[in-house]
Amino acid sequence: MSKTKLDEINRNIYNIKNKDEYDFKIKKGLTPEIIEEISKQKDDPKWMREFRLRALEVYNKLELPTWGPDLSELDMNEIATYVRPKTSLSTSWEDVPEDIKNTFDKLGIPEAEKESLAGVGAQYDSEVVYHSMKEELIKQGVIYTDMESAVKKYPELVKEHFMKCVPVHDHKFVALHGAVWSGGSFVYVPKGVKVDIPLQSYFRLNSPESGQFEHTLIIVDEGASLHFIEGCSAPKYNKVNLHAGCVELYVKDNAYLRYSTIENWSKNMLNLNTKKAIVGKNAKMDWVSGSFGSKISMLYPMSILNGEGAKSEYTGISFAGGGQNLDNGFKVIHNAKNTSSVVNAKSISKNGGKCTYRSLVRINENAGGSKSSVSCESLMLDDISISDTIPVNDIRTDDVEFSHEASIGKISDKTIFYLMSRGLSEEDAKAMIVRGFAYPISKELPVEYAVEMNNLINLELEGAIG
Amino acid sequence: MEKLKLNETPVRTSRNFNINNIKLENVVIPERLGNFNHVTIKAETSKIEISNNTNPIDLTYGLGEELTSQVAKQANQKLKVKIDSKTNQEIQIGFQFDKENTQLVDNIEIEANEDTKSTIVIKYDSQKDVEAFHNGILKVQAKKNSKLNVILVNFMNLESNHFLSIENTLEENAKVQYTIIDFGGKNSITNYYSNIVGNSADNRLNTIYLGNKDQLFDLNYIAELRGEKSNIDMQVEGALKDTAKKHFKGTIDFKKGCKKATGNEAENCMLLSDTARSLALPMLLCSEEEVEGNHSSSAGKVGDKELFYIMSRGFTKKEAMKLMVKAKFNKILENIKSEELREQILNEIDERLN
Repeated sequence: MSKTKLDEINRNIYNIKNKDEYDFKIKKGLTPEIIEEISKQKDDPKWMREFRLRALEVYNKLELPTWGPDLSELDMNEIATYVRPKTSLSTSWEDVPEDIKNTFDKLGIPEAEKESLAGVGAQYDSEVVYHSMKEELIKQGVIYTDMESAVKKYPELVKEHFMKCVPVHDHKFVALHGAVWSGGSFVYVPKGVKVDIPLQSYFRLNSPESGQFEHTLIIVDEGASLHFIEGCSAPKYNKVNLHAGCVELYVKDNAYLRYSTIENWSKNMLNLNTKKAIVGKNAKMDWVSGSFGSKISMLYPMSILNGEGAKSEYTGISFAGGGQNLDNGFKVIHNAKNTSSVVNAKSISKNGGKCTYRSLVRINENAGGSKSSVSCESLMLDDISISDTIPVNDIRTDDVEFSHEASIGKISDKTIFYLMSRGLSEEDAKAMIVRGFAYPISKELPVEYAVEMNNLINLELEGAIG
Repeated sequence: MEKLKLNETPVRTSRNFNINNIKLENVVIPERLGNFNHVTIKAETSKIEISNNTNPIDLTYGLGEELTSQVAKQANQKLKVKIDSKTNQEIQIGFQFDKENTQLVDNIEIEANEDTKSTIVIKYDSQKDVEAFHNGILKVQAKKNSKLNVILVNFMNLESNHFLSIENTLEENAKVQYTIIDFGGKNSITNYYSNIVGNSADNRLNTIYLGNKDQLFDLNYIAELRGEKSNIDMQVEGALKDTAKKHFKGTIDFKKGCKKATGNEAENCMLLSDTARSLALPMLLCSEEEVEGNHSSSAGKVGDKELFYIMSRGFTKKEAMKLMVKAKFNKILENIKSEELREQILNEIDERLN
């Protein structure tokens, strides 16, 4: 009997490998000397150099996680943590070297910038190679720049927020990030300014046996709003690459931030990323997350609802194919009265892939009147894949409404039969069911990403129902 | 004093979530045990074989090495119940803690042979002023086509410690239903594991817990489905008052080969005070495609509207609360056929909620 066959994601575009040319590549490993050298290369101010060295000390003290996917193949002595491409930061695509520009062209970044974005940042290996934003936003006081420039141009603002939302002690890979971070974006949206068109940063790792450690810091001030999109990809190499980025989001009172991610790293990537938002009074934080790539992913965005009436919504999908272990989920801490959170997580496992939904909902003693609703659904497309759901619900006060539900299963034969009785072929019926399964997520994505996601979910059927 | 680490989940999650295991302070595992003589057994002994010929202890999970080995080496009560009769049998086993009987380490084995049908009630009760210690293992072998109904009642006082490891093996078409009434113990820590190996085997686990003062419940329920068309249903209803705390860890694990198996898990916690705490980890693990698994978990206080409605009929707030709790527990209590036992449980709820 043959089975439903879901196409692997077409990686041709993402697999473009440029020659490993760089201006500077740090030697592999992790020592104080290497950190000092990165700091020197980046011309860090003193406080940042000291910060990096302290983070390295913390890294050396912390253990690897005792849970989740096996990370034993990660050997930091085999990873170069800093690779500076052969170009400096440009504000015009014309100034970006041809091979790098071609890569971003094929990924559709300049095109998207023209059509539907208010600003774009593009990182290649460890440095941002392109950054630009529409003139009217600059006039409104919006800051959108690479992280290094922000450290130098806005030292007070950066010092006040840098790794305060995600402290280096959080876990080992955050400490690693603190020591070797490079690149990333800094966004500040002033009070009351509504940025109607999204900003986008795209992260591309080309260099083999290296890591990317970009730092994204976004401050949406009181009453302001922003939609930020993050995309990432890399060509596939035989040895592991590491991504340990860090995203810190400050959503101040009455502000709104939507953070969308399409993660499509190559299947030799260990994606050990950390994302956290602190949400103020009556503010709202929305996360939209599509996770398709990586060999191993451990990613659990977190909202800390610190202001009364703060809200957070998480909508995410993971799609694990052969050889992939995607351990994703969401964490929310209700830390003030009348806060609310909604989680809608989906996963699809096929071809021996493993998806795990891992989460935490904590409603603290001071968060009376809060509500939380969690739903997660998993779809198994064959009997060699694995799908696990590991949610923790920690309720510390009585005046709450909390509910969690999860389900797991295969495509229902009855539903296929029903659709076929309405004239659809079996292939179309299955395609429709899988697209329908993913629809609540794809409808939250910008159109071009939703189309891409639907292309990814391209069903091919052979013979009878499996 | 070294903390006692117990009840590890089959799969770990982040240590910061404080749920992978439980660490207890101020619990002493007695090194030397006295006798425990206050045991009552009611059964038709011509049809049921009761002996102390238990097998060596061998647990897949259990609460932890220290407690398991205590039962293996020091059990002061061993009971093997062998059911061969095809007619419906009822066995009642009662352990009563009092001033002379304060420490019980029991090893109970139940062997329900092919095509048998039986109900076993095991009750742990204690006098009010006794600081009791209980550590037990209950091992059940449900053979082909057997039907077994196990009712476990924990009415121990709030000064005592109650530790229990349960392990079941279900063969083809075996039906095993558990009703667990978990009210007692300053610490009530239970590990429940079902290995559902037989095709069409069916395991239902219904628990009610009721916590007050500073009680702590740590319930680690694990079901591994291996048989085709096998089933597990876990239904857990609880209420917590004062500063009582509950950890519920429920795992349904669909192992490869359990085609067309189903698993459902529902856990609901009523919070009766703003200092009570409910921590839950309802896990679904799946390595098989053709299965259906669902879990749900909820927590919240008693609905104001419902309370108001009952109070408008002349009840005090406390009475209204009790009614709501009993109503919530009622569906599970219906599994208990003995009216006398049901009555005892309802009285116990009244008393504990006073």
